[in-house]
Amino acid sequence: MIQLAYPLALLSLLAIPLVLALHLLRPRRRRVVMSTTTLWQAALRDRERGRGLRRLLRNFSLLLLLASALVLGLALAGPEWLTRTSEGADTVLVLDVSASMKTRSGIGTTRFDLALAAAADIVDGLPRAGRMLVMTSGRKALLRTGFEADRGALRRVLTQLRPGDEVGRPREALALALSLLRSREHGRIYFLTDGAFDPDVDPGSPQVVFRVVGGPARNVAITRFDFRQEFARDDRFQVLMTVRNYTDAPAVVPASVSLDDRVLFRRSLELAARDEQTLVLPFTGRAFGQAVGRIDVADDLAADNQAFAALNADDPLRVLLFTRGNFYLESVLEALPNLELVKRDWSPAEDIARLARSHDVVVFDGVAAPRLPPGNFLLVNTVAPGLPFFDAGRVAQQDIPGRGASALMRDVDLTAVRIDEARRVVINDPGPGLQRLFWSKDSDLALALLDDDLKLVYLGFDLARSNFPLQAAFPLFFSQSLAWLRPRGDGFVSTHIAAGSNYSIQVPASEKRVIVRMPSGDTETLAVKGGSVRFAATADAGIYRYTVGEAARYFAVTLTDARESDVNSRWAPGERREEIRPANNGAQALVPLWPHLLVLALMLLALEWFVWTRSRNNV
Amino acid sequence: MAMKPLNAPAAGSDFVFGDDFLRKLERLELLARKIFRGLLRGEHTTSRRGRGLEFSDFRHYRPGDDFRHIDWNIYSRLDQLFLKLHASEEDVTLHLIVDASASMSFGEPSKFDHARRLAAALAYIALHNLDRVGVSAFAEGLGAALPPIKARHHMARLLTFLGDLPCAGRTRFDTALRAFATRTRNPGLVILISDLLGAEEAQDGIEALRRGGHDVVVIHLLAESEIDPPLDGALRMVDGETGNELDVTVDQELRRLYQHRLERHLQEVESFCRRRGVEYLRASTAIAFEDVVLKYLRQGAHLR
Repeated sequence: MIQLAYPLALLSLLAIPLVLALHLLRPRRRRVVMSTTTLWQAALRDRERGRGLRRLLRNFSLLLLLASALVLGLALAGPEWLTRTSEGADTVLVLDVSASMKTRSGIGTTRFDLALAAAADIVDGLPRAGRMLVMTSGRKALLRTGFEADRGALRRVLTQLRPGDEVGRPREALALALSLLRSREHGRIYFLTDGAFDPDVDPGSPQVVFRVVGGPARNVAITRFDFRQEFARDDRFQVLMTVRNYTDAPAVVPASVSLDDRVLFRRSLELAARDEQTLVLPFTGRAFGQAVGRIDVADDLAADNQAFAALNADDPLRVLLFTRGNFYLESVLEALPNLELVKRDWSPAEDIARLARSHDVVVFDGVAAPRLPPGNFLLVNTVAPGLPFFDAGRVAQQDIPGRGASALMRDVDLTAVRIDEARRVVINDPGPGLQRLFWSKDSDLALALLDDDLKLVYLGFDLARSNFPLQAAFPLFFSQSLAWLRPRGDGFVSTHIAAGSNYSIQVPASEKRVIVRMPSGDTETLAVKGGSVRFAATADAGIYRYTVGEAARYFAVTLTDARESDVNSRWAPGERREEIRPANNGAQALVPLWPHLLVLALMLLALEWFVWTRSRNNV
Repeated sequence: MAMKPLNAPAAGSDFVFGDDFLRKLERLELLARKIFRGLLRGEHTTSRRGRGLEFSDFRHYRPGDDFRHIDWNIYSRLDQLFLKLHASEEDVTLHLIVDASASMSFGEPSKFDHARRLAAALAYIALHNLDRVGVSAFAEGLGAALPPIKARHHMARLLTFLGDLPCAGRTRFDTALRAFATRTRNPGLVILISDLLGAEEAQDGIEALRRGGHDVVVIHLLAESEIDPPLDGALRMVDGETGNELDVTVDQELRRLYQHRLERHLQEVESFCRRRGVEYLRASTAIAFEDVVLKYLRQGAHLR
């Protein structure tokens, strides 16, 4: 049976009329009426004697061209031949790289080592023309190769694989593998796993062969780890840690929690068989730094014996304010939490580019702002040169009939705001990065600009000559403006993400790259665009550090998953193996036909050229 | 004996038999008269046996034979019936058969025009010698025919007949000549004027004429452009009779092969004629018709 991978490509057969037209455009012969052509035919036969091919030349050229077009059209349609073959079908090898695969299985051996050995056996046992695709199943299903027939390449890929601290999601991996073998009835999926997942993972397909590695194991694990601030108490916090015993014997488990180098507490937990305990322990003091929870137990899986969290990992927002003195502005900035304000007089001699790099936000209030370098800026009652709007004088007695739908204006009520005098600005370049925040009938009063490496909020009036500072909207507007200029956490934040998840790193718009140092000590450099970058290499639990300008920041990746720490197999293959047909008996394979068709088309074109040349020269 | 001036033919034949042609014909007759000087009417006998006075042979009686020719003297002596045979002394009938197929329209002048002029000249000379002359045309079958005429004043009628002959259709020698041999009651001298394209059929047709008791003369007429074709380059040749097309790129080599083939064809026809005792004369449209007639008269002298 022949299938078409790209049936729409058959539209290319419409080129056949074009071929016909080209053929018709070839030079025509001069017509001559003869008394008889018999003798000429005989003369031609004399010349063609021994060259019988020439008899086929008349119109043979056109037939060859049409055949070439037909074959090329079919080749573009990607036909595949579903054929029964004794050589075996395509194989997908799915390797479980979840945290449970780190479980010790014998001396110096893990379950993953056993899985790798089994994988090598499968590669060695591939039929001669068989192909294999390797993928891993962790939090995400990742393809490590395409369908590959090179045994050496497959073995090299296998040696580079290792398990992470991720929670496995085998159902997704098997669904992906089955989709890869769609329409290949006899394709085979080998899932090399420890079976530490629920039975409903089994898709029930006869194509899936489960190879369970490892045996029973002992494990005690931290399954929850978190921090929180006590209600209405800025200096009192609580740590929450759950420890679970997965063995059938009671265990005494020493547990501890530390924050940076400070040990917050130590406890010795007495856990019955299959029991768990949750600790909620208060502590006082500053809650900043890298928190680690540990249990000291000699079990078979070490990965879940510690847990990580990052507390208030963001540094205080560093704001540089150039002003001649503005009570309202200074008051609102100092009132915002976790903000470090530096106030200076503006001088044209300042290195504004350096200052923009070393501060999260630079504010110009009523002073002549210079041409702005990359960075985050707040302009109050001043306009900098080089912006898509410019100062065009003053307007008096403004109220605010219009407001935009920007996130900066969320819940900002401007109905009672009156402004004695404002700057009049004219927008000369209304590009997509420029947002109108609010405006009067004469001029825009507030704008936001997001450029490649410049973020800016403009407020076009003197705060002292309006009643805006007396409105509830005033601190809200500045809080949301600063949050937009430099996104960050709000208040006490305890952060950790599950291993294998993506982490979004926020940096100033001026930063072009971020270097992330992983728990293993390896580093990865990421290119930044638009002030954020997504980091995906979080397979290992631990603290990840990165540098933004001169500031060091970090985030935590942890395992803490009760189901993943239950490392004993919950899935039994049972009688399913009986249903599995031998791999080399009557398998079917999809053989792509386009390379053969392409070669055939080229041969036809070459033959057509030969025929046409001969026809012109000799007939 | 001088002939009266030739009457002009009907208008339809002017383009073939104009004044110039008629003047040439009269000069040709004068020349022919010298060639035939001394030959009298009734002197030329044929190989056919018949009702003449001169004894030729005996043969056994066969049912249906005329009783009047039984030799009763022999019967009385031998008690067997024998017929007494005599050589025929009838006037010779000249049958001119002109190929009027489409291939004859080829050439400049066309072979057909040339053939008609040849036929007219031969008929004129024959009538001068008091022979009977009939004319037939053929293509796919036996076409228009002019029954044998004897009086010279019918010459204009003969010219009109020739001038009005159409030239079209494929050549079917076998069919046409068999039909002629079947229909003709008086065997005589047949002069076939044709390009003989389709040699095998032509041979069958000539053989049919011979079996019909005719003495056959073949004038094989070709156009000069058939003998030495002025063709070159990529051509689509269209067969004038069949309409078949042939894509050909003519070069020196192919022209040489064509001429070789043509020569073989001519020799094949001539050899066949010689074997069958058929007079064969090759002619070209480049040779004036009167020259062809004189050459024929000198070498063949069938017209006595």
